[in-house]
Amino acid sequence: MKSKYLLVLGTVSLIGLPGAVLAHGATVEYRQVQAIEIDATYSGGQPMGNAQVTVYAPNNPAKPWLTGMTDPQGRFSFTPDPAQPGNWEVKVRQAGHGDLVTVPVREEIALSPSKTKESASLSRWVARGDRDYASKTQQVLLGAAGVWGFFGTALFFARRKPE
Amino acid sequence: MHIPDGIIDAPVILVGGYAVTGGLTWFCLDRINRRERDPQSKIPKAALLAATFFVVNAINIPVPPSSLHLVLNGMLGVVLGYYAFPAILVALFFEAIIFQHGGITTLGLNGMIMGFPALIAFYLFRWRSRFKLKEPLRTKVFAFLAGAGGVMIAAGIFTLTVILTITSDLDAQAERQATYVALALYGIPAVIEGIFTMMLASFLDRVKPGLLEGTLKVGEP
Repeated sequence: MKSKYLLVLGTVSLIGLPGAVLAHGATVEYRQVQAIEIDATYSGGQPMGNAQVTVYAPNNPAKPWLTGMTDPQGRFSFTPDPAQPGNWEVKVRQAGHGDLVTVPVREEIALSPSKTKESASLSRWVARGDRDYASKTQQVLLGAAGVWGFFGTALFFARRKPE
Repeated sequence: MHIPDGIIDAPVILVGGYAVTGGLTWFCLDRINRRERDPQSKIPKAALLAATFFVVNAINIPVPPSSLHLVLNGMLGVVLGYYAFPAILVALFFEAIIFQHGGITTLGLNGMIMGFPALIAFYLFRWRSRFKLKEPLRTKVFAFLAGAGGVMIAAGIFTLTVILTITSDLDAQAERQATYVALALYGIPAVIEGIFTMMLASFLDRVKPGLLEGTLKVGEP
């Protein structure tokens, strides 16, 4: 008895559902665009989650074109305006830490809206609290040279003075 | 605590940072010149502690949500006195060019953020002679206060700088909140550095008290 009642109710709601959707007249279309994904991490490797992101378009580097926030994994993606090729600047900031990265958007990609599979793929740019100008090995070597410089200075001034 | 290049839009703040750091450098060098018969004699100690500061700053300790590193500016103040400021400035310069930790445009600002509290720590540690406490305890207490205070004053100046330079494109409230959370988190390295400075100062006090700068002799500037 109880199960029959439930069945009837279910049928009624199924009939009612498409009508309700149609009544709103919503259309959702899609097209593929080239997006830029920002991956922000602290120098220790932790993601910069919920950091504030400001995007500046090439034609007006003073006025923010878009503002947003990274997700808890430190990611943020946006679609640059294809009519504005050039260097897009993305600033990521949280509690005074952060970085400014320049994302070059090339003209040929910008002018031909991406239809091919290749150009539709997500471009990834990495923003770090400390930018990787040099590789890890280079940094370690440079750091060791720096430390040796301090020790050299110490040894130079600590040398025995001629009587 | 190192402010990187490109975060602060106001050139006035950057120039102001250089001005303050320039003034403090002059002040410290002048004091060294007046106090020391041979100003070069303490350069080895300053160079070694600058190397320590340089290395320690590059080691990150993961503390969610971000990561922290020890600063040791208070310890430098206790051990080096007026030499601490130039030592920190030199180390910051090398960090900026080698690790891109901090920046060249913000070097003045970072020198002020980390160097000025070192001087305060030095003065604080020196003040201990005015308090009537039993000796091993007195050095320990004041070394802890200097070590922890160095970090907390630096964190305070950093927070103030960050909050004063929130640009209009940012969600000011969210940035302010994140900065206050970061300020509270600096309590962790502050305690660690306080304990470290306390251990070091009490060791040096027993073994070679001459190595501690914060021992005030009568009539010294």
